[in-house]
Formats: sequence, C-alpha cells, structure tokens
Amino acid sequence: MANARALDRRRRSVRNIRKITRTMELIATARFKKAMDRSVAARDYTEHLAKILKNIAAVGGNLSHPLLQIRPTQRSAVLVLTGNRGLCGGYNSNAVRQAMGLLGEHSSDETETHVTVSGKRGINALKFRGITVDAEHLNFEDKPAFSEVAPIGESYLKSYIEGDIDRLDVVYTRFVNIAKQEAVAETLLPLQPPKNEETSVSPVGHLASEEYDFYPSAESILEEILPASFQSRLFKCFLDSAVSEQVARMVAMKGATENASGIIKDLSRRYNRARQSQITGEIMEILGGVEALKK
Amino acid sequence: MATTSSQKLIRCVIVTPEQTVLDTKATRVILPLDDGSRGIAAGHAPFIGRLGAGQVQLLGVAGGTGAETTISTFIDGGFTEVGHNEVTVITQHASDSGSIDPSEAKEELEQLCKQKAVGDEQINALLQAESTARARLRAARTKNKS
Repeated sequence: MANARALDRRRRSVRNIRKITRTMELIATARFKKAMDRSVAARDYTEHLAKILKNIAAVGGNLSHPLLQIRPTQRSAVLVLTGNRGLCGGYNSNAVRQAMGLLGEHSSDETETHVTVSGKRGINALKFRGITVDAEHLNFEDKPAFSEVAPIGESYLKSYIEGDIDRLDVVYTRFVNIAKQEAVAETLLPLQPPKNEETSVSPVGHLASEEYDFYPSAESILEEILPASFQSRLFKCFLDSAVSEQVARMVAMKGATENASGIIKDLSRRYNRARQSQITGEIMEILGGVEALKK
Repeated sequence: MATTSSQKLIRCVIVTPEQTVLDTKATRVILPLDDGSRGIAAGHAPFIGRLGAGQVQLLGVAGGTGAETTISTFIDGGFTEVGHNEVTVITQHASDSGSIDPSEAKEELEQLCKQKAVGDEQINALLQAESTARARLRAARTKNKS
C-alpha cells in the first residue's frame, strides 16, 4: 500500500489541476457567449444579402458572373481554420482530419493545391503530416474581425477571377447547436447560385414577390453583391470556428473537471485507508510491546 | 393629407457584417446612391440600389423635428433595399459621421492625391479610394458645421 503522505501530495496536485480546468471552463463559457452574440449579430447581414440576391434572381432570370462559373479544377486553394491553442477536445484534430481527407482527394486528382492554415495547432499538425503550408494566419482568436478577414477574402477573389485558382474549399468547424459541432469542408468558390441559399433564410413573404427597380441595373448590383456575399460567407466560417472552439473547450474542460473530482475522491479513499492501516499497524505494535512487557 | 403623410415613419436599418449598427424610425432618409443622393419618404416605390461612399442621413428620427433628431452615418459603399416603408442599408463599414476627424480625413485625401498608379486596375482602385476619402472629408465637414 502506497504511503499516506505520497497519496496526499498527489491529491493536492490534482486539486490544483481541477482549479485550473474549472477556471478554463468558466472562461470558455464567457467567451462562448460573446462569440455566439457576434455570430448572431452577423446573421442579419447574410440574410439581407441573400434576400437581395433572391430578388435579383427572380427578376434577372439568368445569373452569369465569373464567380458563379464552374471551371474544371486544375488549381485549388484550401483554407483550414483551427485554433491557436489546444485543450479543447477533438476540435483541432477533427478539422485537421477533415483537411487531410480533402487534401488526399486533391492529390489523387492531381490538382495543384495551395494550402492556407489559420491557427498554430493546425499549422503544426499539417506540417507534421508532411503537408506544405503555403500561408499561415495566427491572428484569429475568439473574436475574428471583419476587417481582418476581408483582405484574405479579397486575395482569394482576385486569384479566382484571374484564374490562379479554380476552386476554394474552407475546412472549418460548423456550429450546428451547442451540443453539436462538426468539421466540414465547404466549397466557397465557385459561389453556389442563390437558389441553393441556406434554407434558414426566410424572406418576408410580401417582399419576395415584390417588383423591384434596380439602380443602376441588376447586373451592376450583382457584380458588387457576389463578392460581398462571398466575403460574408467566409466571415461566417471564421465566426463559426470561433464559437465552436469555445464550445469544444467548455465541454473538454467540464469533462476534465469532473474527471479530476473523480480522481480526488478515489485518492481520498486510498489515503484514508492507508492512514487507517498505518494507525492500526502502530496500535498493533504498541499492543505487541505491552504483551511483551507483561511477560 | 400632407400632415398625415409627413407623420408616417420609415424604418431604417443599417447592417454591417459584424452587427446591426442602426435600427430606428425616421420621417425621411437620404441615401448616397452610386450616382448621387436620393431622398426617401414614406410610401417610396420599392427598389434595390447600389450605394457609393457618403452619408446616410436620417431626418426626424422617431417623428421628431429639429436638428437634434438627425442621425448621419458614414458608409463606404454597399447596397440598399427600399420597400414597404423600410430602408435597409447593407454595407461593409459604417461609422458615425461625428467620429470622423476633419483634419485626419483631409490628410488621408492629400496622401492619396500624391500617390501614383500604373495600369487600369491600380488607377481605378486609387480613384475609388480618393472618392471615398473625399466623401469622408465632406461628411466630417458637414457634421462640424451643423
């Protein structure tokens, strides 16, 4: 049986770890709420853009724009969104696994792939797996700002229009609800036509059938709105990733705290038993001594 | 008749990718369209338009009158959807016109004027940036006057 003092020392260190994980859980909860608020606030923009696109589609009929054209994929770009920090369960590894699957597909199709990774964890994991990371971003934490995301989107738009890339996939962790987040690979370029707009967008009934005038023209608005719509989708990927990371960390740290409590309970029991057996041993020794003296 | 229509309010919403900046009611809204400003009052025919850089001005906020019921917000391009007494402005950047420093805006414009561009693309980008800077300066000046 282990000695009581060693058990006590272990118990104390586990208690300290529990304090840390508990604090991290609380911090992640607070950050999750903030990230969630930002994500909800950003939804309005996407919905309004989708509504306008739908109206243009209804009036304009055929939509043609370089961003909507599907070209044979020869060169593609992949953007992987992960976290800068660990201790968040399977968040990073799921995204990396998804990315590896996609990159495997690209290499079997002999597509030239340009890989951009955001987050220290993803960069290290992909490098470890022998992937050449062409560009890195480390500046995205739990509050991605649109002004930071926009230049990235801008550069993708530019290379897509110039023909440097034929496709852009973003690997990120989609936030479905608080109990479910899944790593997905989404094709952002070429843009999906507005018909396939997310079903969550519910246009106000009377406005959808409304006849709109367009200033200066439907084409000119389309020309501007498609890049904006792409940017907002890309931004949504960043926001979703941020929310998912905080949820994942919250859940992981909750599990860790519970585990620590279990270990402390177990250690306490063992410590008490060890202490008791030590006392019993000592009493036996004394009794043995007394018996010997009697003789 | 005129009095009833002037009391009718239009809801004006300004959204950016990050948040809804403004959601309020006003008697009139002035929008900086691509090719010039356009005033919107209640009952305006529905349209979707492209916006240039400039100020979105809300006059008579919440049905009030006077200068203090004016809100002006500087936007940097975007779109607008007008319909059913509702104006939605979708833009990437929106800031309160009062927060723009005139001297800073002037400096920015002067800097841009000094820059040289080569090729169509660069020239267009520079012209665009210059017109945005001009609109910013204008917004800052009008705010200071009022």
